[in-house]
Amino acid sequence: MTQRISKYQRFKMMNPIIQFFKFIYLSIKIMMVVAGGHGGTRANK
Amino acid sequence: MMAKIVILGAGISGHVSAAHLRRKLSKEHEVVVVSPNSNYQWIPSNIWVGIGRMKSEKILFPLAPLYKKKGIDFKQAKAISFFPEGDKTETKPYVLSEYVVGDNKGKQEKVTYDYLINATGPKLNFEATEGLIPGENKTYSVCTYTHADHAWDGLKSLIQEMKQGKKAKILIGTGHAKSTCQGAAFEYILNVEQELRKHNVRDMAEVTWISNEFKLGDFGMDGMLLSYGGMTMKSHEMVEMIFEDRDIKWVLGAGVNKIEDGIAHYENLDGEYKTETYDFAMLIPSFSGHGFKAFDKNENDITEKLFKGFMIVDADYTAKPYEEWSVKDWPETYQNPSYKNIFAPGIAFAPPHAISKPRKSKNGTAISPAPPRTGMPSGITAKLVADNIIDSIKNGKESLDHKGSLGNMGAACIASAGYGFTQGSGVSITTYPIVPDYEKYPKSQGRQLGKTFGEIGLAGHWLKLALHYAFIYKVKMKPFWWLIPE
Repeated sequence: MTQRISKYQRFKMMNPIIQFFKFIYLSIKIMMVVAGGHGGTRANK
Repeated sequence: MMAKIVILGAGISGHVSAAHLRRKLSKEHEVVVVSPNSNYQWIPSNIWVGIGRMKSEKILFPLAPLYKKKGIDFKQAKAISFFPEGDKTETKPYVLSEYVVGDNKGKQEKVTYDYLINATGPKLNFEATEGLIPGENKTYSVCTYTHADHAWDGLKSLIQEMKQGKKAKILIGTGHAKSTCQGAAFEYILNVEQELRKHNVRDMAEVTWISNEFKLGDFGMDGMLLSYGGMTMKSHEMVEMIFEDRDIKWVLGAGVNKIEDGIAHYENLDGEYKTETYDFAMLIPSFSGHGFKAFDKNENDITEKLFKGFMIVDADYTAKPYEEWSVKDWPETYQNPSYKNIFAPGIAFAPPHAISKPRKSKNGTAISPAPPRTGMPSGITAKLVADNIIDSIKNGKESLDHKGSLGNMGAACIASAGYGFTQGSGVSITTYPIVPDYEKYPKSQGRQLGKTFGEIGLAGHWLKLALHYAFIYKVKMKPFWWLIPE
């Protein structure tokens, strides 16, 4: 097993307080990507 | 004028289009759903059913009572053949359907329509790989809730044996040279690995990823450049990091072609024929169309006007090499060019080509992922098809203002990497656009970097769980369901 994720990174990944803020941030960011609209590609020609 | 809209299929796109049509059209218009399945299932959560962390009852509910309450006509029947011009005795276009349950079982009916939405999704083509049968030869699938239940039974008994001291090999990935949905297998392998740790048997297992991808993190989308923690990383680097950290081995460029009890036979891109043994395997089959036939009013076969495996829509199907592929080849309205009142959103439409670079082994066997067919674009394309039909009915003429090419649409993949409210984890990846647009984003592999990013951590698990509850709420059409985006 190769440790590719350091203890500090893992702490950040699994800390519920840090992750709570990340959850809010990701929810907004994902909404912006997904609900941020869609359209055609051919009219842009 | 009263219109009748028939929707074939009650999965994500069938249900989304039925729900929007019913909400926005007055009661004089008929909305009819024809599906052989009695239950709706929220497929993305099958991963958790397959590790025994969620009961299959949590991800499904019966369709008939909901549709009755909402004024949607539901026929539990399967489509057999298409008659887009009617026939010698029936002037209206129709789909010949056969009831699958109840007193009418086996009875066929001509279900006529003014507009038809083909949302039949894929056929899970297990037959394309000899011996790949869910629940047999120690191979399983998580494509449906019954398959996922079986997978958990298989895994549970193996975990028991490992607790008694058995060393085991677990193989997860794709079960055919042209499979897609690597994302589902990726989620499952991470969840299984975490479950083994929770049961304290991780050191008894060798966990291996087998896939038709050329590189890890291809996901049938040719991989992606993504922002990760302030850096720009290739998706294969991210997945490599996760797999190495979790001690998961990998076999790439593998076209699995035969399964025997505990043995997967495959060919690799070097043309070598190899085997991988296992005690438990979850392998995603290839997908195909359902093999529907179509006939004109004189009952001549016109299948090639409607189908090319999946349904033909407004895509550019001209065969061309990978270097000449364009984002503009991808459909925008999902309308059949020959019969303009037929649409095929979601997974039912024939893609113009793959997204990943096609590759062949030295023996000429094509080994590379087919385009991924996922839930979020299925919902978005189903809604735009419903909106175009609604506009056409209201305006009294064809209206196709709503467009949504996979080349101008974002997708989020929240891949569960382990279940647990404080111990869970998820890999959240968003991609914009799904099909790379090399003209707009030439320097970042066809994708917009700010909108294509990856994150790993507990928040990803909460997100996936939140999505589970939000979407179950939405599909049950509870108050204000339409405010939740597709």
